[in-house]
Amino acid sequence: MSGRELSGPGMSARTMRLTRTILIGVGVLGLVLGAVVLVSKQDLPAILGVAAWMLGAIILHDAILSPVVFLIGVVARHAGRRVSKVVLAIIQGGIVTGCLLMLLVVPEFYAKTLPIANDTVLPFDYAARLGFMWLGLAVLTAGVCVVYLRVAGRRNVAR
Amino acid sequence: MRRLLLTLQHAVAVPTRNPRLAVVIGRLLALAFLVCFGTGLYSHFLQEPLPWMHFPTFPSNLYQFTQGIHITAGIACFPLILAKLYTVFPNLFETPPITGIGSLLARASIAVFVGASLVEITIGLLNTYQFYPWPFGFREVHFALSFVIIGSLAIHIGVKLPIIAKYWRKRDGYGPELAFDEEERAEINAPLVDALPAPLQKVPGARQVSGLTGRLFRWIDAAPAEGVVPLRAVDVAPDAPATPAVPADEPEPLGQSRTRASTSRRGFLVTVGVGVAAVVVLTAGQSFALLRPFNLFAPRVKGIGPQSVPINRTATAAQVTETATAPDWALTLSNGSRTLSFSRAELLAMPQTTVDLPIACVEGWSQMATWTGVRLKELVRQVDAGQSAALRITSLEKEGGYRVTQMGSEYVADNTTLVALTLNGETLDIDHGYPARMIAPGRPGVLQTKWLSKLEVLS
Ligand code: HEM
Repeated sequence: MSGRELSGPGMSARTMRLTRTILIGVGVLGLVLGAVVLVSKQDLPAILGVAAWMLGAIILHDAILSPVVFLIGVVARHAGRRVSKVVLAIIQGGIVTGCLLMLLVVPEFYAKTLPIANDTVLPFDYAARLGFMWLGLAVLTAGVCVVYLRVAGRRNVAR
Repeated sequence: MRRLLLTLQHAVAVPTRNPRLAVVIGRLLALAFLVCFGTGLYSHFLQEPLPWMHFPTFPSNLYQFTQGIHITAGIACFPLILAKLYTVFPNLFETPPITGIGSLLARASIAVFVGASLVEITIGLLNTYQFYPWPFGFREVHFALSFVIIGSLAIHIGVKLPIIAKYWRKRDGYGPELAFDEEERAEINAPLVDALPAPLQKVPGARQVSGLTGRLFRWIDAAPAEGVVPLRAVDVAPDAPATPAVPADEPEPLGQSRTRASTSRRGFLVTVGVGVAAVVVLTAGQSFALLRPFNLFAPRVKGIGPQSVPINRTATAAQVTETATAPDWALTLSNGSRTLSFSRAELLAMPQTTVDLPIACVEGWSQMATWTGVRLKELVRQVDAGQSAALRITSLEKEGGYRVTQMGSEYVADNTTLVALTLNGETLDIDHGYPARMIAPGRPGVLQTKWLSKLEVLS
């Protein structure tokens, strides 16, 4: 790689090359340190467990979550032919936010079905709250759409 | 294979997937990771200090703050990392996949980075739910992976630095790759694909989406409302400020396509912002009193539990219900061969001090409380311990990693460190450590030893 073309705005080729070298060097050190800590503190089955979890996480994301999101995008794009793009974006935003919260909360109410240490751990009825959250989110999203359409409509009339 | 990869890359390319957004989200994510790393290391060394380490005892809620930030920033990582992966997803199908040993290492480091990050935040979160479905030790692995993450992050930034520098500032951003020629494009390490908006793809000369997905998108976009936009729209920076959002159901004006692209980019950023705000605001009330009214989903809530303070380990779990209530309980205090012991009544008869100190759990929740008891400093003076005395503290607990712990001299000497006998004006509940517990400023809850049994001055 030659530095000249690669240098970004405000950074000389030398600085760029030096910075990259340092970053990559520090990074390799970090990787080595992490590996050493892992090997010194965990036995082989546990280390294999970590590797399996990392691989599983990548597969879960790249082979399942992403294609599903992509398909949803396709559907939205199809549906979006007739709907205002902004309304579509607002609805997508609402759904994504809800799914994010669900991602965090579903393991929580599952954990609550297991024996818990005491009443102050996982004190809420998380499933019910998740339900209300979706309701609230739907109302909120609809509200934002209505406000947007009103404002946009008024702007169009004024034009 | 190459064709398949290209097709896939095109298939998943949408206007939100571009280098500028990858940089914008990447910056936030790197910041959140570094904050987690810093606060995590602080938590680690509080529990396993190196011999030369001393920690601040002021402000007394420092650990409450740092660990609250650790968990909160950690939760914010979920939307951020998903957003980041979304913006760079087309790179997964980069073609040719590997161009040499350098690119192999770069891609491997990204796989390690993604895998380690996802595992780190997942086990971190589940740990706060006290749910441990993995075949390894949480603390050890969470600690080791933090170096792996920061290391592979540094490598990743090093590899992508030219792109990062190029897209760091806004004026260079948003789809300028339309202006790059082939050569420039090849020079940029692993460019992200920013698909042409659908109407532009129909323009002769504009890049065409091909294959199955191309047909799919043509089918999708075959809406009668969508007109063809002249090619010159390509030259216009799609980032024109305050482009009015135009609903699609009116006849498509010139520039509709870039409005569409900018709407989807703006929508993406707003969604990420709303997502981060939602997960933070609806959970951070476990750590920050100000947000308590919005605590809908955190695994902990302030103000509940015996004497309005939440607990982790109960007396039953620690198997101390008998020893802690035994009438002959006494706290032994020793310095070398000099040993004293104090019953609870004797401790209560000594000068009492009242302090407000938080219990701040490693799991991120915390609770402010009012404690009354004997100053540790005055207690250890009775066995002629010097100003720099450190302590070994033993609990009545039958077992557990924190049954025997050490306390640095900075805490022993602090005026607010107490052998606490009452909590919020009442006799200490047995689940809070009756007959006596330690409370010191700025330490994690696991080190605020309950059911005290023995204090030994370390020389
Ligand atoms: C990239 C993100 C993260 C990094 C780099 C990181 C790093 C660390 C480090 C270095 C420690 C100290 C470990 C030790 O005491 O040996 C720690 C502790 C901890 N982290 Fe994280 N962390 C991250 C994300 C998270 C997340 C998302 C959560 C939960 C939502 C979390 C929860 C915890 C907990 C509960 C502890 C305390 C462990 C204990 O002392 O028992 N972390 N983290």
